[in-house]
Amino acid sequence: MNVFIKRIFIVFTLSVFINSCTKDGAGNTSADASTGKAGSLSKFTIVGSFLYAVDNHYLYTYDISNASNPVRTNTSEINFDIETIYPFNNRLFIGTRTGLYIYSLESPSSPVKVGEAQHARSCDPVVANDTIAFVTLKGNSFCGPAESGLYVHDIRNVFQPVLLRTVSLANPEGLGLQGHYLYICCNNDGLMVFNVADPANPVFVKTITGGYFKDVIPYGNQLICYVSTGITLYDISNPADPVLVKHISN
Amino acid sequence: MRICIVIFILFSFSSCWTKVKPVTPGIDYKRVWGNKPVYDAAANAKLISYSSAPMPVSNPGNIYAKGNFLYQLEIGKGIHVIDNSIPAQAARIGFITVNGSSQISIRNNLLYTNSYDDLLVIDITDLNNISEVKRVSGAFPEGRYNYYFIEPVESGYYECPRYDSVVIGWVKDSIWSSCYKN
Repeated sequence: MNVFIKRIFIVFTLSVFINSCTKDGAGNTSADASTGKAGSLSKFTIVGSFLYAVDNHYLYTYDISNASNPVRTNTSEINFDIETIYPFNNRLFIGTRTGLYIYSLESPSSPVKVGEAQHARSCDPVVANDTIAFVTLKGNSFCGPAESGLYVHDIRNVFQPVLLRTVSLANPEGLGLQGHYLYICCNNDGLMVFNVADPANPVFVKTITGGYFKDVIPYGNQLICYVSTGITLYDISNPADPVLVKHISN
Repeated sequence: MRICIVIFILFSFSSCWTKVKPVTPGIDYKRVWGNKPVYDAAANAKLISYSSAPMPVSNPGNIYAKGNFLYQLEIGKGIHVIDNSIPAQAARIGFITVNGSSQISIRNNLLYTNSYDDLLVIDITDLNNISEVKRVSGAFPEGRYNYYFIEPVESGYYECPRYDSVVIGWVKDSIWSSCYKN
């Protein structure tokens, strides 16, 4: 945990340096206390003073530096069936049913597509850090025929993501990344915990059962799970071993 | 204002229109038992409010965490607010009504959400006195035709909804077989 905070701090400091030359840098969102944290199934995200929103076809950019007058600065057509948007370090990761798209926020008012990883039709939320993007593909009659599982992409060359590894999982949906741990909601199969210190070789740690898990937010020492029957909170002071704290029933 | 009244009167008569058989060349609509849209004038449906009584969750959506609070979408209707300051006692404490919503993001004390095709900025500094800071009309054009209540939940025949007002629910009635959901 401390290592993670230290790393975030370093990244943040670096990004401040890098951004100091731009007028209004979109810093590291996870270190930005002015915004909160969304689940991986979200279609809205705020980075710096910009709101990025996707609907089924478009990515909209709104300058919200003046909250009483949000101004649209960009509209990008992406493709059909946009599912999710996830920000990390001046990049947006957009999951669609046919691929993962990476947009650069070097110019935050007008995101530019820099990379993409195509895949078979499926539903696919994504989380990422500087070097790796984790995508869950859910193949079924509604989403498409792809083989369900965790797909690990090396994004060090953001222009050309390389598929490093796939881990077959039955019903993966939302996922959350904190430090070296990846939490994957697998519907009725439970919440699966993986150690991804070596991202090319995710190591299965354990499964938390007792719910239909949809989405998850690692939030400091807390793991917030959206399950079909409500919201379940776990303590992840030990990230490898989430401990049930509270279930809030629907 | 006068226009609003005229529109309102038109809406109140709109339920009579369904008795008129829709005309589409080549299709003979039948009178069937199915789902009929319940409409509201957009201006009315777009009013926001906060209730400090927790609402049961029936159609949950995205989750969001900020500070000591969690938020969860009630798709199409609004946002549940959860006090998480003591996690072991975390509980729903209220509900922000935002019809036509499905997304959430927060910066400082401003909550950004969608309401049908609008982008909405809500000041949540004091939950009991929330205020609409800004509504950007038509920010998300798809939202006019694509929101949760645009279709009934169950499959079968339903009356195709109009787009000149918004659908806030569905009721069973005798309808023309104009739309079908698999």
